[in-house]
Amino acid sequence: ALSRRSGHRPDPAPHRHRPPAGRASHWLSRELMDLIRTEGQRMTAAQPSETTVGNMVRRVLKVIREEYGRLHGRSEESDQQESLHKLLTSGGLSEDFRTPYPSLRANVIEAINEMLIELEGTTDNIAMQALEHIHSNEVIMTIGYSRTVEAFLKEAARKRKFQVIVAECAPFCQGHEMAVQLSKEGIETTVMSDAAIFAVMSRVNKVIIGTKTILANGALIAVSGTHTLALAAKHHSTPLIVCAPMFKLSPQFPNEEDSFHKFVSPQEVLPFTEGEILAKINVHCPVFDYVPPELITLFISNIGGNAPSYIYRLMSELYHPDDYEL
Amino acid sequence: MGTDDLIETFRAQLRDDPDVASAVAAIRALLGFLKQDRGETIQGLRNSLRDAIDTLSRVDSSVAVSSGGELFLRFISLTSLEYSDYSKCKEIMIERGEIFLTKVSLSRNKIAKLCHPFIRDGARILTHAYSRVVLRVLEAAVESKKRFSVYVTESQPDEAGQKMAKALRKLNIPVTVILDAAVGYIMEKVDLVLVGAEGVVESGGIINKIGTNQIAVCAKAQNKPFYVVAESFKFVRLFPLNQQDVPDRFKYKADTLKTGQNLTEEHPWIDYTSPSLITLLFTDLGVLTPSAVSDELIKLYL
Repeated sequence: ALSRRSGHRPDPAPHRHRPPAGRASHWLSRELMDLIRTEGQRMTAAQPSETTVGNMVRRVLKVIREEYGRLHGRSEESDQQESLHKLLTSGGLSEDFRTPYPSLRANVIEAINEMLIELEGTTDNIAMQALEHIHSNEVIMTIGYSRTVEAFLKEAARKRKFQVIVAECAPFCQGHEMAVQLSKEGIETTVMSDAAIFAVMSRVNKVIIGTKTILANGALIAVSGTHTLALAAKHHSTPLIVCAPMFKLSPQFPNEEDSFHKFVSPQEVLPFTEGEILAKINVHCPVFDYVPPELITLFISNIGGNAPSYIYRLMSELYHPDDYEL
Repeated sequence: MGTDDLIETFRAQLRDDPDVASAVAAIRALLGFLKQDRGETIQGLRNSLRDAIDTLSRVDSSVAVSSGGELFLRFISLTSLEYSDYSKCKEIMIERGEIFLTKVSLSRNKIAKLCHPFIRDGARILTHAYSRVVLRVLEAAVESKKRFSVYVTESQPDEAGQKMAKALRKLNIPVTVILDAAVGYIMEKVDLVLVGAEGVVESGGIINKIGTNQIAVCAKAQNKPFYVVAESFKFVRLFPLNQQDVPDRFKYKADTLKTGQNLTEEHPWIDYTSPSLITLLFTDLGVLTPSAVSDELIKLYL
């Protein structure tokens, strides 16, 4: 049973689902991988905008491949990825994962537990890097409410004094909640409307934001209003820093399938009380924005800071190419 | 195998199958050369292969033949490192060569499968000159029931765009041929630009028919995505910093170079497009950002 808390941290939950599958007596890795893949397809179809679910399924599949490879006697350096080198030197087709290994199940469960520990520590890992990036008397801008950014700023506030401007991020105005949390730690916070982002940008030193998903080309799917913020920052040459844990990295490219977009009730944009106008207009309330990779300066994740052009490398370390399509 | 036989094999392949990539034809000809080679040492083999590659470049001076040849040489070196006995080594090389050719013949389909989801229903695509890979991608998009229209540049001096338009009309795709000069005019109407490549260089840029750089610059100015489709055997170990850096032997046809006339009067056939203008590259190794290309080349050659 998968407990899906609404939009907040569905990430560890798919993992707790994995050990039950392991307890069934599936010794053949091929069957186990097919089972996990089917489950993954069902879960992602249920809520396509929750890309972390698919990411975790892919990481588990990679773990199984690695453990199988280790038991199969393949050397550690052998490249699992497609490459020109592999095209030239390989003697035949890829493995079929059919040899049973009794110790595979225990190894996989152990690796998954290690991954769970890593997941629980991601916010702290990111927050630890705060002091390198935030200096005294700086003006930082952010948008909406990101728990990662909140932890990041709170950690820096323990040793440095700086100001934060929060864009309220209409129509849900989660920026208000962020401002309340930050001011509890004694950080001087200002809340302003999204329309004022460009006007205030000239006085801002850095923009630090969270995101929903990181795409394979280094782009973001983030809360609506982030693209505006990114464009204003680019115009003023202000660095844009994205704080996001690695499980948000999804091996998908922004093609026109548009499965990332989510629209919710336009009640927040134009309330139903405005009945007369409603018949004559179309009202939309998109939840997410696409931010292209050229506007982003740095990604800070639990494994350190990286440029958007380096994302392809991180992806090849986390996932296997055969799993990009679940 | 004499040089004439080699050239004849190469030419015969291009004649019999007009769809085959010139690099694949070159590699197949070189594999035939390898099978008939009478030498006893790896060093001798490499030298005769180098001569064979030079011969082929003098027949067809395109970047693709050069990169195919370079890849084949690398293939020989890597295989020879694993086996010290020459005859066993040669057997393995021939076997792996056949496997490599089979894999490579599937590469166009792989690329088409990766690329066609990026073509939205109702899209207007701009392409340049004649590219068999782009043709295959558009064919795959038609098979997945998408409707789109294509603008093709005429691509002087050999009017390759007309050839492309004819092939597209056979697939029932609405196509308009435009003047090379009309690219800036048409760019605002276009949703995406899709081109092939004769070679992909280390920086992630491409070498393609003259006019590609212009299209890329216009696309960047109007914020249109610029997609490149290329097979992985087109990755070449060049790092041009500007147009002048591209070697002359690629810019002009083999026959022109042979006559030794003054090249300043000749028009080049290719140009270099820098990686900052390219959005994504679709290859049989996957969808790559331009920065990922150099990684692939390093993995192979170093």
